[in-house]
Amino acid sequence: MRFSFNWLKRRLSTDLNIQQIADKLTSIGLEVESVENPALIFKNFKLVRIKKATKHPDADNLQICVVEDVDGNEANIVCGAKNARAGLKTILAMPGAVIPSSKMVIKKSKIRGVVSEGMMCSHEELAISSQEDGIVEINKDTDLSTPIDEILGYDVGILEVSITPNRGDCLSINGIARDLAAAGAGKFLQLEKTSCDSSFKFPININYENSDSCFRYAPVIAFQVIRGVRNGESPQWLKSAIRSAGLNSISMLVDLSNFWMIDSGRPTHIYDLSKIQGDVQIRFAKSREIFEDVRGNEHRLLPDMLVAADRESPLCLLGIMGGKKTACDENTTDVLLESGLFDPIFISKTGTLLNLTSDSRTRFERGIDRDSCISGLGGITKLIVENCGGEVSDILVVGTQPSNEQKIILKKSKLDCVSGCDNDWNEAKYFLKQIGVNEIRSGEFESTFSVPSWRSDLKIEEDLIEEVLRLKGYDNIPSKSLDIITAGRDRVLDKKNQILGIKRILASRGLSEVITYSFTKQNYAEAFKENRKLINLINPISVDLSVMRPSLIPTLLNNVVAALSYGQTNIGVCESGNVFYDSCQQELQISGVRLGNIHDRNWLEKTRSVDVFDVKGDILAALDYCKIDEKTISIVNSAPSYYHPSRSGAILSGKKELGYFGELHPKIKKLFGITEKTVCFEIFSSLLPLLNSKTLYFSGKVFPKITRDFAFLFSSKTSIGSLVNAIYRLDPIIKKVNIFDCFDLNVTLKSIGVSITLEAADRTLTEEEAQNVSEKIIKYVRSIGGELRNK
Amino acid sequence: MSELERLQASCLYEIANCDSLKKLDMLKSAVFGKNGKITEIMKKLRDMDGDEKRQLGAAINSLKDEIMEKLDEKFYELEMQELDKKLASEFVDVGMPSRPNCFGKIHPITKVEEEVAHIFSSYGFAFADGPDVESEYFNFTALNMPDHHPAKTMHDTFYVHKLADENGRKLLRTHTSPVQIYAMRANEPPLRCFSIGRVYRSDYDATHTPMFTQVEGVVLEKNIGFSHLKWLLSDFVKKFFEVKTVQMRFRPSFFPFTEPSAEIDINYEMRDGKIIFGVGDRWLEIAGGGAVHPNVLKYGKVDGEKYQGLAFGFGIERLASLKYGIPDLRGYFESNERWINAFGFSHATR
Repeated sequence: MRFSFNWLKRRLSTDLNIQQIADKLTSIGLEVESVENPALIFKNFKLVRIKKATKHPDADNLQICVVEDVDGNEANIVCGAKNARAGLKTILAMPGAVIPSSKMVIKKSKIRGVVSEGMMCSHEELAISSQEDGIVEINKDTDLSTPIDEILGYDVGILEVSITPNRGDCLSINGIARDLAAAGAGKFLQLEKTSCDSSFKFPININYENSDSCFRYAPVIAFQVIRGVRNGESPQWLKSAIRSAGLNSISMLVDLSNFWMIDSGRPTHIYDLSKIQGDVQIRFAKSREIFEDVRGNEHRLLPDMLVAADRESPLCLLGIMGGKKTACDENTTDVLLESGLFDPIFISKTGTLLNLTSDSRTRFERGIDRDSCISGLGGITKLIVENCGGEVSDILVVGTQPSNEQKIILKKSKLDCVSGCDNDWNEAKYFLKQIGVNEIRSGEFESTFSVPSWRSDLKIEEDLIEEVLRLKGYDNIPSKSLDIITAGRDRVLDKKNQILGIKRILASRGLSEVITYSFTKQNYAEAFKENRKLINLINPISVDLSVMRPSLIPTLLNNVVAALSYGQTNIGVCESGNVFYDSCQQELQISGVRLGNIHDRNWLEKTRSVDVFDVKGDILAALDYCKIDEKTISIVNSAPSYYHPSRSGAILSGKKELGYFGELHPKIKKLFGITEKTVCFEIFSSLLPLLNSKTLYFSGKVFPKITRDFAFLFSSKTSIGSLVNAIYRLDPIIKKVNIFDCFDLNVTLKSIGVSITLEAADRTLTEEEAQNVSEKIIKYVRSIGGELRNK
Repeated sequence: MSELERLQASCLYEIANCDSLKKLDMLKSAVFGKNGKITEIMKKLRDMDGDEKRQLGAAINSLKDEIMEKLDEKFYELEMQELDKKLASEFVDVGMPSRPNCFGKIHPITKVEEEVAHIFSSYGFAFADGPDVESEYFNFTALNMPDHHPAKTMHDTFYVHKLADENGRKLLRTHTSPVQIYAMRANEPPLRCFSIGRVYRSDYDATHTPMFTQVEGVVLEKNIGFSHLKWLLSDFVKKFFEVKTVQMRFRPSFFPFTEPSAEIDINYEMRDGKIIFGVGDRWLEIAGGGAVHPNVLKYGKVDGEKYQGLAFGFGIERLASLKYGIPDLRGYFESNERWINAFGFSHATR
């Protein structure tokens, strides 16, 4: 809501200045977004009269003008405009003035050897749209003392206020002034209820479609006709008011309707009566009926939209926007005025379906003064008659005024409870009275109040409490501390912290955490969906952000691609976030992508490119953090299809998959335009167990370890991935199994070096026990086709 | 000069002038070895007896001790010389760079989430969670935003294709507030809980990203009111920003799920392009909150006659930007290397 301070002062008698008013508005919940002062824009501009204009001695196109201001001060101005002439009143920018369009600062200068003490401005330079060339020509009757902003139609001091959706009543100067007055910022100068004496009978037929729902959506509409109006350009005061509200001046009738809407909060509609063919019907739209709005846009209407129509076509989408057909123009003489009451939800639905917004819709949606149909009509009629002349008909009212007055009981105890402090009961009642909420039944610390017709947002006791506290000022409510309580174990937070811990581990391994959007491109998502269904957005921001990611990898790869384009070569990123699939299944995962070398080149050791064992290490480090014993997991070659089929794996704990890792499949790299080897991993966080302190146990005793090394021969094709876990299972005293060597002996055989550490928790092992275990291991290896290598 | 005296003089001279461990070893055997000089003299004792034997024996022993001591000293001296020589040959230029560290960084949103969680935990708030893909019912209806409520249009909601159930159309949650309802339904009051999570709105410009992060809190207790909210939020702000005092401005506002509602500003001042909190007379909005609307309590199945509710929310990105001077909102989600190196945190920072 934008309006000028001057306009506000027509409804509020106040000694406060614009900034004080702005602060007050914010403190009562009408948040001021900006305060701008057009008077400042025209600092160093003044109105002058050209006394004398003579030709420049050295330039054919220039004139030297002597101008004088209201006090008779003269200045010498060199001017190139053809219309500069003696006697013309125009606007002078003095040294120091900032030209609104170019932001150029005017300085005293010499033009072709002649001193010029400023510049006379054109419309364009003043940022006023106009067809006229040359410098601005001001009406010769204008007093030279008139402020520039007034002449140009700017009203001094503009306030922009953000009105919350519950405060439909404050989408008007009237409502804002009332609220300010209630908060002690001045005296409210209420709009007087006016009407004009009618001089003829309402001349046309208005037919209301006889349907209950029609009345439900539009319970009452009042009409009036004015004959013999003169439409035309708006007078200066109206233009400036309209412009201060951020609207364009169109014609007197349109401007008056807008002025009235902003002033009173009451939207009305003006039809050019001569363009209506036959009777007017208030009816539901016919299916697929076309309506051309006043802006010239066509809409295909649906049967549950309410229109005013003549016998040919819809004239107005009631409560939202008028039609082009009956729009007023400079030839309009007879007008039909309409002032209705429309159901907010109905207006909202219609507007949403047609994607049509308007000032009128905004007001009806948020609720206007229920009782303003007829008074609103009186107000606009009076404005039109005063400014455009004409004769007024009787008022025709269709439907019935709803009379459901809202009553609310407020208890002091509830007020004190919600506010958390003691309140002065009389002061509370006083504040309510100021905003028109009147006490109709009084009890001790409990009263019944009636809600005024313009505050449909006040429905329950809490609403009244907010009004009291708002006007009292939130800053006047004391602050009270909450009791400190200690919560028990918070497993949900533990889970969150577990994820954080994993990210710290990953960061310590060189992966930087990033956060990417949860949505991605269709084809990226497709590549990662496997046999799941994707979740698409109906109204995405762009096609690049239209599908919920089924994996973190595609959005991480997006980040990697961007990093590559910035010239980064060694990349390691990770993210924790939700992935989405099927019918809104979502799952928290942690993923990482590595590309390039493991670290920068350095003089101490050769660097190497990342490989699948880096990402396997990432997962195992995360699992280790979660106290998942390496012995309890197994690795199978069953990662999804976006991984390299023979350089990837799934990590299983029992039968549950904890994650995947591997090289990225070349087809995916191609899709993202990546040429470098890329490895990645995914961890499914929901399956990671939370740490439980009870499971941690250590006797404190240490017994000597025994270490044995073996060299085994296997066929080159044997996968020995499960060997380690299998050896662990052979005997509980096997505490550590480590493959320390692996090489191809020849084309068919490979040699695997295995180191075993034996340790018992309760005794020193004997040589015999060690020998026993060694034999078990050798026997096992034989059982899977391997053999002990002879020296 | 007796034989012993000559032996003493020559041994001490040779030890003093010895210049290698090898020579010293040879010297030692020449004196104490099988046929060494001392051994030779000792043999003479066999033919003596009485006082003569005793006197000579004592003299030999004393000489032995003396020579042994000098030898040990010399051994030590020569070993040290040798070691110094060896160490001098083992020169390494320690001015050369060490092996590169390759640590990643923790994202500032994660850092701030942790800080916020820590503070709310300290007030006894439990963490609660909810889904990103939400139903119309939990995102709007249960939060007192029925269909066609004007506030719904302020939310610029992303809707999900072809998904609906008994709770209405599916959408990406526009705020973390649905978690309030889950928490109310799952717990008996008194209740203090908070949630942190991603939320989505269809808005993309210099100051908006289609995804951002909110923290949400709800308190259900007997006898709590607006004044407790004032304390809670100002105490949080002081703890979070690590300032002793902060002026806060509670402005009346409107949220469908709270009544009365407030927006909360903190004061600040710009110094050399940096925001300084707790001083100055400019205001910056950092939070919204209020008393839980009775309709929301109803949807949360809470006895509104018995319990009062307070609810509040912050934007995590704004908190992070203000505390750590992170300028552009989009940077959070582009998270490129230079940005994360500038604004990210070491994995060891807590």
